[in-house]
Amino acid sequence: MTALAEDADRLHHARAAIEHAYEQGWTDGLPIVPVTAEVVEEFLAATPRARDEVVAAVPHLGRECTVEQAAINAAMAGCRPEYLPVVLAAWDALMRQRVVTGGGWQSTSGPAPLIVVNGPIRAELGINSAGGVLGPGFRANATIARAVGLVVRNVFGIRPQELEQSTQGIPGRFTLCIGENEEESPWEPLATELGLEPETDAVSAMLLRTCEFIDNRHTSDPEQVLWDIADTVARTGAAIGRHSSAGLVLGVEHAQMLAAGGFSKAEVQRWISEHAFRTHKEMQLAGKSLAGQEGPGLDEHGLHVVPDPDQIPIVVAGARNAAMSMVVRPFGFGGWSRTAHPIRQKEA
Amino acid sequence: MFEAMLDPTGGPSATATGPRLAARPARLDGLVVGLVANPKKNAEPFLDAVGELLAAEHGTADVVRTRKTSITDPIPPATLDELAQRCDVVLIGVGDCGSCSAAAVADGIAFEAAGVPAAVICTVAFRVSADAMARLQGSPGYTYVTTAHPVAPLDEAGVRERARRALPELVGLLTEAPVPVVAR
Repeated sequence: MTALAEDADRLHHARAAIEHAYEQGWTDGLPIVPVTAEVVEEFLAATPRARDEVVAAVPHLGRECTVEQAAINAAMAGCRPEYLPVVLAAWDALMRQRVVTGGGWQSTSGPAPLIVVNGPIRAELGINSAGGVLGPGFRANATIARAVGLVVRNVFGIRPQELEQSTQGIPGRFTLCIGENEEESPWEPLATELGLEPETDAVSAMLLRTCEFIDNRHTSDPEQVLWDIADTVARTGAAIGRHSSAGLVLGVEHAQMLAAGGFSKAEVQRWISEHAFRTHKEMQLAGKSLAGQEGPGLDEHGLHVVPDPDQIPIVVAGARNAAMSMVVRPFGFGGWSRTAHPIRQKEA
Repeated sequence: MFEAMLDPTGGPSATATGPRLAARPARLDGLVVGLVANPKKNAEPFLDAVGELLAAEHGTADVVRTRKTSITDPIPPATLDELAQRCDVVLIGVGDCGSCSAAAVADGIAFEAAGVPAAVICTVAFRVSADAMARLQGSPGYTYVTTAHPVAPLDEAGVRERARRALPELVGLLTEAPVPVVAR
């Protein structure tokens, strides 16, 4: 067979395999990588964890996912074998979220997992933490997040318009894996804040209902920037009853400006919690009267939408080229787990 | 020239046995009714209204109320055990979101497995989710009662009217052995 004929043969089979996956309902809408047993062994060789260890579950559906199933779906997602330990750590982190072990994947809000990676592994695997961090263009970011989504679809059987009942979903579902821009952050990395040793390769995760940008290149006064952020955090649209939630993916410029102004991360969290406030009148205008309700954050004047400062996660990510930040909306009104999970790679 | 392509679906099952349906009483008079409300708006008023109508028209003896604190989670096992001990039948609702409708069906199937007849109320918008959950729980065609969507914005009178309309079907579901629906 000539080289050209061999190529034609390969391409024919590659296309047939991809179309087969579509016909079987195994894809999220994008083409997948066909996976063979040999490929899975390569992935399993990258982790010290046993192939039959359960890494993810939805107890109320009676479904569990093993390391091997996660590896098959990671390979299908386009991961390289060395990404598998990150995918598994992402599941460790996600499984600490109450909404994940409940029915969160089926929610009408169609939440998306935000996977945050810390440590030197970001450079080793090419996990983007700088420009365009929430967007496309980086294999590790895109495929690690997609590997989580394919498990939800294939292993748990939670598919849109079936068990997954998102009204609209959020743009970026199963694409949100970011590295923290530790190099340009003025503060300690998230994983260190959450108790791990500095330089530990680790993943934190939460489900998001959406994110919304703050473009403030207008002022060098940190309190004005904080006020701008708090205004977005306090949107009535994010509130269900007295419950809302918020976190920050701060751009480098905002983070450095706040730090230069003397704010630690904890002080930013406290400032936002104190100032993100809606009056009873404003809640009424949105048809969300809180009359007769009680609880943290609620007083005679109105509602502190995120009463617990600890429940405002802060990550620094993105380029240092404009003063942009994101308010993210973690799903689950009891908050997020505040845990970071080490990435366990196979010893070389 | 190529190896077998692997199937990425399906993991090990966490629950091996399928649920069974509880035996039904012939009549509801004198029975204690459990009300399992999720935290969605109007769920409690809806179930309360059904409870009042059952007492007035079918002579039920008492109600035991419980309010789930989570939209997404199944009923906690301790709460389920307590209700199963204290109640003769239970009403569960109102499933009007993706995760809470699926959770309501799962709760209903769990009560049936514990020997307590259950009637689950979901809005019509979430039949797909409710049916998919029933299949996953090993109880395809599990029968529940639907009410129009949505429930959350209804006023007090609207909620009572919905409860009144759902009542005959709920009573039927609690007193006659439900016939599984094969295709829906």
